[in-house]
Amino acid sequence: MMTFFEKQTNPLDQAHHMGNLMVDNMYTSGTAGKKFFTHLKENDTFLASRCKKCGTTFFPPRLYCEDCFIEIPEEDWKEVPAQGTVRLFTIATLNTFGEKLDEPKVIGMIDIEGTDGAMLGYIETDETNKDLIGSKVKAVLREKKDREGTVKDIRYFQVL
Amino acid sequence: MNKVAVIGGGMTLFRRHLNETGKELSFLASKMALEEAGIQNSDIDMVVMGSAPCAFDGIHMKGENLLDGTGAKNKPYVRVFNGGGTGVFAPIAGWWHVASGVADVAMVVCEEKMGSCYPHPQTAFQTIWDPILDRPLTPNLVWLFAMEMNRYMTRHNIKKEDIAQVAVKNKRNAVGHPCAQLPDENITVEDVLNSEIMAWPVNLLDISPPSDGASALILCSEEKAKEFTDDPVFVDGVGWNIDSTMWTNRDLYFPDYVANAAKMAYKMAGIKDPRKEIDFAEPYDPFTYKELHHMEGLLLCDKGEAPVLTREGVTERDGDLPICPSGGLLGVGNPIAATMGQKVCELYWQLAGKAGKRQIPGDPQVGVGQAWGDIMQMGTVIVLRRG
Repeated sequence: MMTFFEKQTNPLDQAHHMGNLMVDNMYTSGTAGKKFFTHLKENDTFLASRCKKCGTTFFPPRLYCEDCFIEIPEEDWKEVPAQGTVRLFTIATLNTFGEKLDEPKVIGMIDIEGTDGAMLGYIETDETNKDLIGSKVKAVLREKKDREGTVKDIRYFQVL
Repeated sequence: MNKVAVIGGGMTLFRRHLNETGKELSFLASKMALEEAGIQNSDIDMVVMGSAPCAFDGIHMKGENLLDGTGAKNKPYVRVFNGGGTGVFAPIAGWWHVASGVADVAMVVCEEKMGSCYPHPQTAFQTIWDPILDRPLTPNLVWLFAMEMNRYMTRHNIKKEDIAQVAVKNKRNAVGHPCAQLPDENITVEDVLNSEIMAWPVNLLDISPPSDGASALILCSEEKAKEFTDDPVFVDGVGWNIDSTMWTNRDLYFPDYVANAAKMAYKMAGIKDPRKEIDFAEPYDPFTYKELHHMEGLLLCDKGEAPVLTREGVTERDGDLPICPSGGLLGVGNPIAATMGQKVCELYWQLAGKAGKRQIPGDPQVGVGQAWGDIMQMGTVIVLRRG
């Protein structure tokens, strides 16, 4: 009988061969990314890059404007405060594997001040039942000595 | 079908590890192609992305990730891929966008960032095998191609020295290429034969290097081309063909799928005698023997004759049938899909007289480019002609 017609409760009961895709990766942060994370390691502010032609300020900063399709030179980069406004948020109670989290996690999209860009970040708040949209938040960064130059140097965003 | 012209090409440095992201590489190649064509991104109607396995860049559905680096935001966009065949298949897909009349101007961008695959992209290649029959035996592509090379040598009684000459020619040709990863003006046949044996009969210098890089090509309708040039280059024929994945059931001494793809392209281009009508070729050369194998598949000589022509100097840049005047994959590098830069952009640059130090003497009129991929089964062919 084809397996199609059987009720399978344990897939390992089928004739099978275990395997995996043995691929590891090493990702470079790129020209713009390297500059952004090098700055973040030493400073409590963010960098953004501005397209001269259309005026869009990209956060995270980019090497090029995706609309005008021109390069953004070094002189059009600027420093912005590590804070912003909550555009969207959700409160997660289960993890990727369907297991219950010890504490619900608030995760949101933060519009970064002085830019046209946003980033994903955890949000710390005492009032999880509050509508956070529009709340002002400030990035809480790792201690400088602990920073690695990765996105995890931004621990979370604190509601002000 | 509408006639399709080529009006610009671009290519980044090819290197083992570049800091630029895949998006940034795509942007840099696209920018060069736009500048060469003398147009803006707003003039591009549609974009085709060519990029081989997602496992190299390490981003699933990498076409979507790369898109903003190709200027395709809010445009019709598609990614095509068939392993190593992609570098010629992507411009074929670009061709049908314009030939069908759906687009007036299309840009083709090819990108590969093999350096992301750590510690070596061979780990990604291992995942292409049948998981039950092949993969438990831990084969890799070098082992496989060593067997194919052995079969080719045995069938025609070919000497290793004649095959090694391909590496010498291509690495020397690459000396004039601004993007080249492994140019070498002093390399000799002895250097190739004395380099480390990877899997007999393949030595280290028989293999092209893994690379990061991107290339771009701009295609447009005949009408549109008149706005940009008085001396256009046209895509005259395209062909593609694939054999069975059951490579164990095939005699590997001759690539029938390449011959089938070539016949399709030659028929479209009205080429009856490719040996007389084609002035130069860019066959896919990830391994030395593959250039010879593919010259035969492209019907540019008899079976088993390619090593003889190479030994006699016919395939040198100033020979009667220049082969891989760009320096090929062996000399310029092998960021899989991005080798569109050597296999198709080079045809355009040669025919338009823009190849600089690599320029073939004698005003070439017709060139053929070819790529090869999957498990020794995919052939992709394109013919370009000066208008």
